[in-house]
Amino acid sequence: MTDKTLLAIENVSISLPPGADRPFAIESVSLTVNRNEIVCLVGESGSGKSMTAHAILRLLPDRTGVAQGSISFNGNDIAKADEPTMRRLRGGAISMIFQEPLSALNPLARVGQQIAESIITHTKPTPSKEAVDARVQELIRDVGLPDPVALARSFPFQLSGGQRQRIMIAMAMANNPALLLADEPTTALDVTTQKQILALVKKLQSERGMGVLLITHDFGVVADVADRVVVMRNGRVVEQGTVDEVLRNPKDDYTKSLIAAVPGSRSLTKTDRRITGEPLLDAVGLNKTFITKQGMFLPPRRTDAVQNISLGLKARETVAIVGESGSGKSTLGRLIMRLIEPDTGSVHFDGKDLLSQRGEKLRQMRRKIQIVFQDPFAALDPRQKVGDAIAGGPIAYGTPSKEAMADAKRLLARVGLQESAANRYPHEFSGGQRQRICIARALALKPSVLVADEAVSALDVSVQAQVLQLLAELREEMNLAMIFITHDLRVAAEIADRIVVMRRGEIVEQGETQKIFQNPSDAYTRALLDAIPGRTMFAGPGAKQAEVASA
Amino acid sequence: MSTLKSFLRHPTGMIGLIVLLTVVILAVTAPWLFPDDPWDMVGAPFQPPLSEGLWLGSDMLGRDVAAGIAHGARISLIIGVISTLTSLVIGVTIGAIAGYFGGKVDEVMMRITELFQTIPGFILAILLVATIGPKISNIIFAIGIVSWPPLARLTRAEFMRLRGREFVQAAVCQGQHPLTVVLRRILPNAISPIIVTGSLAVASAILIESALSFMGLGDPNLMSWGFMIGAARTVIRQAWWMSVFPGLAILLTVLAINLVGEGLNDTLNPRISRKR
Repeated sequence: MTDKTLLAIENVSISLPPGADRPFAIESVSLTVNRNEIVCLVGESGSGKSMTAHAILRLLPDRTGVAQGSISFNGNDIAKADEPTMRRLRGGAISMIFQEPLSALNPLARVGQQIAESIITHTKPTPSKEAVDARVQELIRDVGLPDPVALARSFPFQLSGGQRQRIMIAMAMANNPALLLADEPTTALDVTTQKQILALVKKLQSERGMGVLLITHDFGVVADVADRVVVMRNGRVVEQGTVDEVLRNPKDDYTKSLIAAVPGSRSLTKTDRRITGEPLLDAVGLNKTFITKQGMFLPPRRTDAVQNISLGLKARETVAIVGESGSGKSTLGRLIMRLIEPDTGSVHFDGKDLLSQRGEKLRQMRRKIQIVFQDPFAALDPRQKVGDAIAGGPIAYGTPSKEAMADAKRLLARVGLQESAANRYPHEFSGGQRQRICIARALALKPSVLVADEAVSALDVSVQAQVLQLLAELREEMNLAMIFITHDLRVAAEIADRIVVMRRGEIVEQGETQKIFQNPSDAYTRALLDAIPGRTMFAGPGAKQAEVASA
Repeated sequence: MSTLKSFLRHPTGMIGLIVLLTVVILAVTAPWLFPDDPWDMVGAPFQPPLSEGLWLGSDMLGRDVAAGIAHGARISLIIGVISTLTSLVIGVTIGAIAGYFGGKVDEVMMRITELFQTIPGFILAILLVATIGPKISNIIFAIGIVSWPPLARLTRAEFMRLRGREFVQAAVCQGQHPLTVVLRRILPNAISPIIVTGSLAVASAILIESALSFMGLGDPNLMSWGFMIGAARTVIRQAWWMSVFPGLAILLTVLAINLVGEGLNDTLNPRISRKR
């Protein structure tokens, strides 16, 4: 072990309680983090990457524990250190930031107090209030937030996601840690915010010479910030090395498949799909304003979710609606589905006015437009068997139940599951499998339009690629037109014929996918494109060849 | 199935269930254990417990206290269960309509609910029974009328939560009838807290019935625990057993139901039951 080594995990295994799907959460994992470097720990959900990071600070769940191996930090073994020692380390020399900043912050305390708390806990004797306040403001300034005095007095709910994550980082920096553990710190954030946060982590790391262990599932992020990469699968390290070695010459097949699955990394082989004719679905001048009451004495708050949006969708065409959270893209999808009623505007489907339909006529039109939701865990009734969920739609429209069930089984097979899945409950399936079930459910009614609302956003990258592939195949087989709502331009590029970029309820740019990527005309589209993680490594479709070569 | 298993491993819930089952068995077998009418005078008055043929003594008119308790168990349980079912029907229907449709319908429904919540329940029950007459069906109706508002509020909250869930929206998009959506998709997912609150409502219904009988507003043809205490209260210093044993019966039954309700709450709540 050299002086440079800050953290060395050697041969560590973490046991799981009996009855879990495997005996060890992680098995014989060895990795090191040096001073002044960023190591990315990459893997899919369930690969044990978070467990590894939590083991360092001994934040493991009940009934799991380090079964063997050593974790040495600054030359001291901390796998067997006593609790007071660990307490001094946590938030002191080793600090951690989490994925979801809203749940990691105390909702009832001002953020300034929360930062101050981490300073006071680790400083003996307790510093004066003025000194703490000055330090808090310095930290807030360091993480790039404006007006530290006012910001220190705000509550977490008053801040945006990006600001909250900056506050978390300020807390983590409070005691000048030597090692920062970042557990998916940007997964819950928009791309543009993600870019800023990653840049901030990198800046703080190089200024302070910290070691950073950054957990991510996104090879784009790895390409942007990492010095070295550790790839994990099923609790084992399958490959590690410098970022260039691993990304350019991956040795392990699993690493190769992960890198290949990064959306946008594949070259765009899309042929002209010859989409012509009149729009099948035509939305004109849609407006929707949400009014939230804020109590008796405050004026109600107005949010213009969708403003004067017009959108045409031709038969067999796929239009991606791209925007950050709060851009109104999901509201637009729900307006088209008539899950929400618009304030003004019209939606015509197949020449008929969709918004004026009532009762049975509306029900008959509903079957032609189906939706796949973002969260496959929330979108299936936990008490309904998968087969019943899929057959329920056709049965509601009068298909005999035997026939509908047979169709449901065929569809399950088509989306890549076993027919026996029909008799099982949703909790027995993984996220990717559930999303396949949701797709089967939507397609059971043989719709002509499919609205996919962030349908692959909650999935692991490799699963995401498979589901996208499935959607692309089904679209050809069933002559589907698709509205594909996503925050990820890379995903949009994989599947869409046309891209519509939304911001704050308005369309800022729309055009052919190729055109958007090569000649974005709006500044916001350009910002979105620039923020794509790993753009230098994984050139997006349409990126110039020279750019790839020079990267 | 797994819910049943984890309930069987819930210690206080099991104690409650055993006590409750004892009371149920007592109620069911009362006609065989004490074939005589509990209103009959079977011995000398004021006999203390463990007298000849009178395990728990006799009351001022020589009626068997044990027989009264056994037959009273029938009335208490019948009233507790049926009046709770009545309030469940009213409360869940109103709560479901309010929560599912929202908006103006919700406003109207909730104002009606609040109207009932602002009137003290027990006083309304007394008023109703006094007005429409002390018959068992009227008592059940009165208890049902005063105990539905909390169930309506709970059902409404659950429906509002589930209404926006994606699997419910998916069912709407599948073209399923609103009634199917409500009965097959939302209600089964909202039922656990309703069952728990309902089980606790049984206990409070028994208490209201006892209190009504104590005040002389019980069905005059039916022996009930509350009536026994009410009748014996004037002689409590001379003959404690006449009021203590029916009082204990009420205490044990209500406690048992509360324990079962709590056990159900723990086992039906996935976050707690998973820890077991």
